[in-house]
Amino acid sequence: MIMTESKPKKNEAAVAATDQILVAQGIKKSFGPKQVLKGVDLAVNKAEVLVILGPNGCGKSTFLRCLNLLEQYQEGRVLLKGQVVSEGRPENHVPTRAEQQQAQYLRRHVGMVFQRFNLFPHWSVIENVMSGPRYVLNKPLEECRAIAEETLKHVGLWEKHPCDPLTLSGGQQQRVAIARSLAMSPDVMLFDEATSALDPVLTKEVLRVIRDLAAEGMTMLLVTHDMDFARDIADRVIFMEGGYIAAQGTPEYIFDERPVPGIQRFLEKG
Amino acid sequence: MQPQVLQRFLTATGNTLLLTLLSMPLAVCLGLALALMRSSRHRWLSWPASVYIEVVRGTPLLVQLYLVYFSLAQLGVHWGTDLLTFDAFYVGVACLAGNYAAYEAEIHRAGLQAIDKGQREAALSIGMSERQSFFRVVLPQAFRIVIPPVINDLIAMLKDSCLVSVIGVQELLTVAQSVGKSRAAVAEMLVVAAIFYLALSLPCYYLGKYIENRLKARGMPELHLDNVHGH
Repeated sequence: MIMTESKPKKNEAAVAATDQILVAQGIKKSFGPKQVLKGVDLAVNKAEVLVILGPNGCGKSTFLRCLNLLEQYQEGRVLLKGQVVSEGRPENHVPTRAEQQQAQYLRRHVGMVFQRFNLFPHWSVIENVMSGPRYVLNKPLEECRAIAEETLKHVGLWEKHPCDPLTLSGGQQQRVAIARSLAMSPDVMLFDEATSALDPVLTKEVLRVIRDLAAEGMTMLLVTHDMDFARDIADRVIFMEGGYIAAQGTPEYIFDERPVPGIQRFLEKG
Repeated sequence: MQPQVLQRFLTATGNTLLLTLLSMPLAVCLGLALALMRSSRHRWLSWPASVYIEVVRGTPLLVQLYLVYFSLAQLGVHWGTDLLTFDAFYVGVACLAGNYAAYEAEIHRAGLQAIDKGQREAALSIGMSERQSFFRVVLPQAFRIVIPPVINDLIAMLKDSCLVSVIGVQELLTVAQSVGKSRAAVAEMLVVAAIFYLALSLPCYYLGKYIENRLKARGMPELHLDNVHGH
């Protein structure tokens, strides 16, 4: 897909802020004998848009899931706003209550959008969006409704608020999923191949929402296979290969200079 | 049919309904508890649940009724206590509920497994606890998709409730036999009992179909329970 629009313009305050908001240090993750992440270090600055690229199986989605603790990594640690929120544990480790609470704290601040939307089908669109503020933040019902209204308007779907989410198109479902994450006012948003399950037309409407968020200064990490979008939206591109970060830099540096041979191969295949 | 005979049949129908309507909710709740125990990673929870489910599914309901009603009472006599002698109706409810709980447990387990793991992950990703993600997101969805098989079991239980006639509970079959014998018209009274059973089970059947179709229309996953049902 070719994006013709120019890179989203961020508000000045957001761009000026460069403090590290999410930091991963030495993340190593194995599935049984197979080591998928072999020591990944990454620091995400406030209002920065990072795009993670790499061939299938290089560990990009796993890394994103480790950041949100949906996968337990074995070594390393994750810091949120300078505070250690999780550390490596053995693969079959059963989290203690304190660790679970820490994970909840992390997830309240780090939203995640999945490839397959994962909307809750037993709730309407607005109930999906209200679920976080209502059950996690324990806000009053009226306030939850107001938050849901605001975020649904933000993604352009307020008119669908009473609908059954399964009746919406894929693009609309993904926008509701984004709204559900936004309703928690996260510090960082993670997008795990958020448009891979969508056709080009539906992809466009989701990308538009992501571009708007970038323009507003939302800190984001995106795993995507859409090179044009990556080049267009990213402040920094991370290229992963074989469980490592093989290269990182501006989109121009990664796409034009192709600093490691893997990028060349990856871009030619893509 | 004479009014007093009809009256007896109606009372018996009430008892059959009461037996079923008390036993089934108990079976569903106990079945859920067993399903959760069996899915637990703690062996001290999963092992007793597995043993219970296999033993109950591997023995006939009729034998279970005899064991609980007669054998326990006999044991009580042996130990010099009447604490193990129970009212036939409650034994009927307990046995029906206990027996069906083993089958409901497998239905619940299949239902919980049918929910995409992305649902749990999505709930966790917005900051819900494991408990919240289970009770607010996974369980309500699983419960919806197990409704059709549970209604099938409700119909099966309605019919199986006639087994409690062997311990003397005044339900439809007991009354049909009793009235039939006193009037030398056992066959006719059994037909009447069959009509009453049919009148009770048909609405449940259509309710189950209606719910199943609605769930299908909403795209909810279907359960495949070929190896679960044994009634």
